Amino acid sequence: MTEAYIYSALRTVRGKGKATGALYEVRPLNLLSTCLSTLQQKHDLDTSQVEDCVIGCVTPIGDQGAVIARTALLHAGWDEGVAGMQINRFCGSGLEAVNLAAMKVRSGWESMIVAGGVESMSRTKMGSDGGALGFDPDVINQVGYVPQGVSADLIATIEGFSRETLDAYAVRSQTRAAHAWEQGYFTNSVLSIADVNGLAILEKDELIRPTTTLEGLAGLSPAFAKAGLMGFDAIALKKYPFIEKIDHVHTAGNSSGIVDGAAVVLIGNEAKGKDLGLKPRAKIRSIATVGDEPTIMLQGPTPAVKKALKMAGMKAKDIDLWEMNEAFASPVLKLQRDMEIDDEILNVNGGAIAMGHPLGATGAMLIGTLLDELERRDLNVGIVTLCVGGGMGVATIIERV
Amino acid sequence: MIRYKKDKDNIVTLTLNMEGRNLNIINHEVSKSIEPILKHLEEEKAKRKLKGIIITSAKKNFLVGGDLGYLYHSKDAATIFELSQNLQKLYRQLERPGVPVVAAINGTALGSGFGLALACHHRIVIDRPSIRLGHPEVKLGIMPGGGEVIRLMWLLGVEKAFHVLNDGHRFSPKEALRIGIVSALAKDEDDLIDKAKKWLNKNQKFSRAWDTKEGTIPGGTAKDMSIAMTLQKLSAGLMAHAYNNFPAPQTILNTLSEGSKVDFDTACRIESRNFTQLVISNISKNMIKAFWFDLNTIREGISRPKGFGKFRPKKVGVIGAGQMGSGIGLTCLKSGIEVVLKDVSKAIADRGKEYITIHLTKLLDDGRITSGEKDKMLGRLKTTGDAADFETCDLVIEAVFENEALKVKVAHEAEAYLDEYAFLASNTISIPITKLSKSCAHPANYIGLHFFPPAEKVPLVEIVRGKNTSEETVARAFDFVKAIKKIPIVAKDNWGFYVARVQNTFILEGITMLQEGHIPALIEQISVQSGMRMGALALADELSLPITLKYERQAAEHYGNKYIEHPATVVLNQMIEELARKGKSKKAGFYNYDDSKNATGLWEDLTNHFSTKISQYTKEEISERLLFVQVIEAVWCLQEGIIKTVAEANLGSIYGWGFPAFRGGAIQYINDYGMKKFVERCAYYEQVHGPRFKIPKLLREKAAAGEIF
Repeated sequence: MTEAYIYSALRTVRGKGKATGALYEVRPLNLLSTCLSTLQQKHDLDTSQVEDCVIGCVTPIGDQGAVIARTALLHAGWDEGVAGMQINRFCGSGLEAVNLAAMKVRSGWESMIVAGGVESMSRTKMGSDGGALGFDPDVINQVGYVPQGVSADLIATIEGFSRETLDAYAVRSQTRAAHAWEQGYFTNSVLSIADVNGLAILEKDELIRPTTTLEGLAGLSPAFAKAGLMGFDAIALKKYPFIEKIDHVHTAGNSSGIVDGAAVVLIGNEAKGKDLGLKPRAKIRSIATVGDEPTIMLQGPTPAVKKALKMAGMKAKDIDLWEMNEAFASPVLKLQRDMEIDDEILNVNGGAIAMGHPLGATGAMLIGTLLDELERRDLNVGIVTLCVGGGMGVATIIERV
Repeated sequence: MIRYKKDKDNIVTLTLNMEGRNLNIINHEVSKSIEPILKHLEEEKAKRKLKGIIITSAKKNFLVGGDLGYLYHSKDAATIFELSQNLQKLYRQLERPGVPVVAAINGTALGSGFGLALACHHRIVIDRPSIRLGHPEVKLGIMPGGGEVIRLMWLLGVEKAFHVLNDGHRFSPKEALRIGIVSALAKDEDDLIDKAKKWLNKNQKFSRAWDTKEGTIPGGTAKDMSIAMTLQKLSAGLMAHAYNNFPAPQTILNTLSEGSKVDFDTACRIESRNFTQLVISNISKNMIKAFWFDLNTIREGISRPKGFGKFRPKKVGVIGAGQMGSGIGLTCLKSGIEVVLKDVSKAIADRGKEYITIHLTKLLDDGRITSGEKDKMLGRLKTTGDAADFETCDLVIEAVFENEALKVKVAHEAEAYLDEYAFLASNTISIPITKLSKSCAHPANYIGLHFFPPAEKVPLVEIVRGKNTSEETVARAFDFVKAIKKIPIVAKDNWGFYVARVQNTFILEGITMLQEGHIPALIEQISVQSGMRMGALALADELSLPITLKYERQAAEHYGNKYIEHPATVVLNQMIEELARKGKSKKAGFYNYDDSKNATGLWEDLTNHFSTKISQYTKEEISERLLFVQVIEAVWCLQEGIIKTVAEANLGSIYGWGFPAFRGGAIQYINDYGMKKFVERCAYYEQVHGPRFKIPKLLREKAAAGEIF
């Protein structure tokens, strides 16, 4: 079997995903083409040797519509022979793009692919693409659709995660992210965003609050209590009738931040890498996608991780570092409980609670974050997983070479 | 059938006047007779001899809805779809491409009857508070199918249209104008026609918004994010309300969502398809059975003793000016009856008057009564602390605290002033009527009239016939309940009568599950998700645990040595005696309560005393156990003659203790479930959970004979 190697992984800084955010003035196209241009320059890449570009994007309308992958390639001046496509598996899109690229390479039918993701949440509001899942009355009640925050609260209720536990996790994410930035762990992989003149617009993740405290977080009001009251709690309780009521414990402080950002990962086989003079950094050991109960929605990582481990012939203890997207605190703690993961090897440099979660890009960003840290600590095996809307899970195991 | 009259201005007035009926109702007959008239009108229009059309009625109503008997027996989708499409075609012919049409609404217009008005370009209604307008179809588990859903959406916007259809509210003319389903009000019949003609003379070029290029749905369509968000909110709301057990509201919402995205005629076709789905569903059959057929059976007097002249109550005494007494008083006042409201003093009785005044003011604000009517009603109310004021009352209803000595005492006081034709009624929930009547001078004139809180709202009254109660008193009580526009069911005097006796089985089954080791929250959630008004444990608290236990002890007494101890009594004894948690009134029961007696959550120590042992269960089985015990007990009541008719058993269950309406009532449940299947399932539950699932002979025999209830 042809192996799929990771040759490079880059990501942009993340700006606050609203009109007051630094990247609001930047088109999502620029976020992605900045990654592509830098990737080309960094490796002096002969782009004619790349066959496809798979880009995750969750709200592919407006600025992000019309196959932004192909548009960004052309905009970044890549060879016209590189094809592009945009995919959507909600929050798992960026990792799914990586996995799809790995599958393309391992099939032997393609040899060098750019995977990645982009999301300008300030430009294109989350959910603004509509869709039957959350907006068709028939589907909502038949499927048991609830906003993700209600799902996160449901997990916390069932698992007994208190508000204090979740807030403590959030503080840790902030502290770890701030520490990683301070120490320059991200320097080699994170790209600044500049204007047409090369003037800097944003050079550091905008959202991190290193001074976050438990006391500060305790003052925030529950973000999903209102939605719960509206009837979404009832939808959840219909499936989980053994609960008296749902504890609304997630707030803006222990949930992921809304941000803008993009990321790319260069994936190829050994021969093509050699031809292009690239050095492989890691091998993709296994990938997994699962569907799970859609109302609790965010528990997909556990079965996804198990599936990926099985595929790789590994056990949980073989994993040196874990990256699980911090969509909300509770799904991370749930995975941690299920897989018995030590605090010290889980999301070691913080996550989306501190730095933000640019939906379509996050999975690809996490591959880079993980790989950098494995190299820095000189460890071998790591896993990335994300909980995914609609009740899905995605996971990828990588091993340094 | 339809009178045709053309005036000098070339305005044609069509007057609906169905032969051999008190009311105009919309059915095949009406549709058939309108068609040739519409054709003639088209010809007139082609000849330029027609300026406009007025549709009105010669009856006291305008037109009321569809043929429920026909819908109830229809099981074929293609037939119903065609029926709906034909009605839509008819309405379409009326509004396009002819001349302007005005609905001159001179009386009540409901359901498809209002649909005809909606198909007119302008709707004027006489401002008379007794007139009712709107679409109550949802209450029978269906929705309109003549294009009304889509027309309302185009008139009001998605959200407002949903509320009109989902609430099934019967609007007064003023309310109808306020929400925008009619265009104008008129003073009287003459003013109505006058205004209609004036409008037609002014509005010669008139077409519906949906037939113009520039027309839009107010507020937008489901393609717009704001409406999409509204739809999301409304969908979730359906689950918050009754766990979406009623399919009609969901189907209405689906129709509006889909219908808003496409053109008018396509939207109407979607409406037809969804209408059809509801009509042929079991749930609409259950609801039509209960709220139409069963209701009419009761109203026609199936349980009223024959041979007694009609009793017309003029003056009613009520003892006790609490919420129950005041509610009973209010109900009587609204039906034109004089009320003497007595409590220990006039000052206390005046609190009841205050309660009544607040309610009447609300009705006035909604345009459902006039200020003159309100004043008249309050004028008919006398508050007092003196039983002598009962002197000319036709009956006196006692609604005091549930205490035997007190009930006997106040009855005596009242009795002293009543003549031998008057009767006394007790609103007791747990004391045998026969026992209370014993110390009365005329036990034959003593009866139970069991109202349910809030008395002004719950449409049911359980008439309880004591051993000594005369047939004539039952007949008079029946007439009284009808006179106050409530549904009378007649029950025999046994523990809890019919309603509380059956309700208690639900409570006890829930408590049994707790005793078995089920998660308390699960019992409560499944109760409500199955369609019960509240959880079994919450209801136990509401009623109070001692009363629940009292009913079961009364049952034990009744069955004597045949009685088998109910597994729930152990828990009840422990809760009452050892744990001192008697229920809501004591602010401590299965739930915790705050100082205002609002439940704050299940008692956190409950599982310390009744530990959770069961982790494997199916929702279906828990739900079925909670419902089956009620159904079986209702059949026992039929068999024992506690309640005489299926109709009463069904409506008594829905209105009395909140048995799921979408099941059509406690007896209809068996028909819906399938007689044979139900009997088999009972056998299984009997084997696993004990003899309380044993089925009565009546049911066994019916099943064996292949009959249904």
